[in-house]
Amino acid sequence: MPDWRKLVNEHLAALALEPDERAEVVEELAAHLDETFLDLRRRGFSGEDAAKRCLSEVQDWRDLRRKIQTARRKERIMSNRITQFWFPGIVAFVLSEVFFTLLQPEPGILLWGRLPIRMFFYIPWLMFLFIIGGIAAYQSHRAGGSRRAVLSSILFPVPAFLAMVLLLQFPFRFSFHYLAGVAYPVGLAIDWHGIHHITALGFFGGLLGWVLVPGAALLIGGLLVRLALNRLQSSQDMAVG
Amino acid sequence: MIGPGIKRGTAELAILSVLEGASLHGYEIARRIEQQTRGKLRFTLASLYPLLYRMENKGWVRGTWQVSASGRRRRCYRLTPAGKKKLSPLRQEWAELFRALRQLTKVADA
Repeated sequence: MPDWRKLVNEHLAALALEPDERAEVVEELAAHLDETFLDLRRRGFSGEDAAKRCLSEVQDWRDLRRKIQTARRKERIMSNRITQFWFPGIVAFVLSEVFFTLLQPEPGILLWGRLPIRMFFYIPWLMFLFIIGGIAAYQSHRAGGSRRAVLSSILFPVPAFLAMVLLLQFPFRFSFHYLAGVAYPVGLAIDWHGIHHITALGFFGGLLGWVLVPGAALLIGGLLVRLALNRLQSSQDMAVG
Repeated sequence: MIGPGIKRGTAELAILSVLEGASLHGYEIARRIEQQTRGKLRFTLASLYPLLYRMENKGWVRGTWQVSASGRRRRCYRLTPAGKKKLSPLRQEWAELFRALRQLTKVADA
């Protein structure tokens, strides 16, 4: 009888599972081929024919490996998504809102105030966003996040900023000012030329001021931290090598 | 002969159904399905195990290692309470689908 365990082991050598789990899969599949072979022999097939039929059970070992990997690692993928994307992203979003709320003076002043008053908290907020982007990148990177996961978690708060800018274009925009901290930057954006006079310039100014620039601050902070972490990791690798 | 698309859809039902009566290892599952469907449904190693692992991940079946009388170690699967719960509505869904298809083909023939 062919050595099915050896054959399966060779074909599934690159199966990305824990060693114990991989060994179990190899043993189970090898046992299946053993059973198939013995059954075919009992049914009168020659050794050669039975072996051929056993081999035809798997047309594409690479495809099988990928399918097994996906099936066995699903749970881990879900938990990875939480630690590499959702958790750092939500932390970044909450921190950006908390700092916004803490930094701003009394909202009434802001809504009707002048530009320098806005800048008084806007610039520090951007600086905090720079740090928050770095925190998100650090958390995602530490959890083993891919480049895409790190980038997504850094930019996690941006769609919320954009959504609020868009939402506040509707007539019921005033009530949004008092819903949550996230509404304030948008209210200010629209108030670029006074809250009652929404203009295209005000809207695009809002997009620039409350979506693109904060997004850029998050991104720059995050990418710098990621770059630093990558360099640190490469130097550690070199030291180990 | 049933096409691969339909086979994929019925595969879970087939596995849950054969496991309803007994705890079986992978090869036995494949053999029983083949015998009970008179060869209409046939699982190869490559089609069976990814599906079994996925069903195990969903909590519908549970595999445990057992040693047979001949001393072989084999992983036997049995239905979990969640799998039993899944089986009944799944059966109903497929029965409804086949009933609808039968009606459709009757109308087409008439």
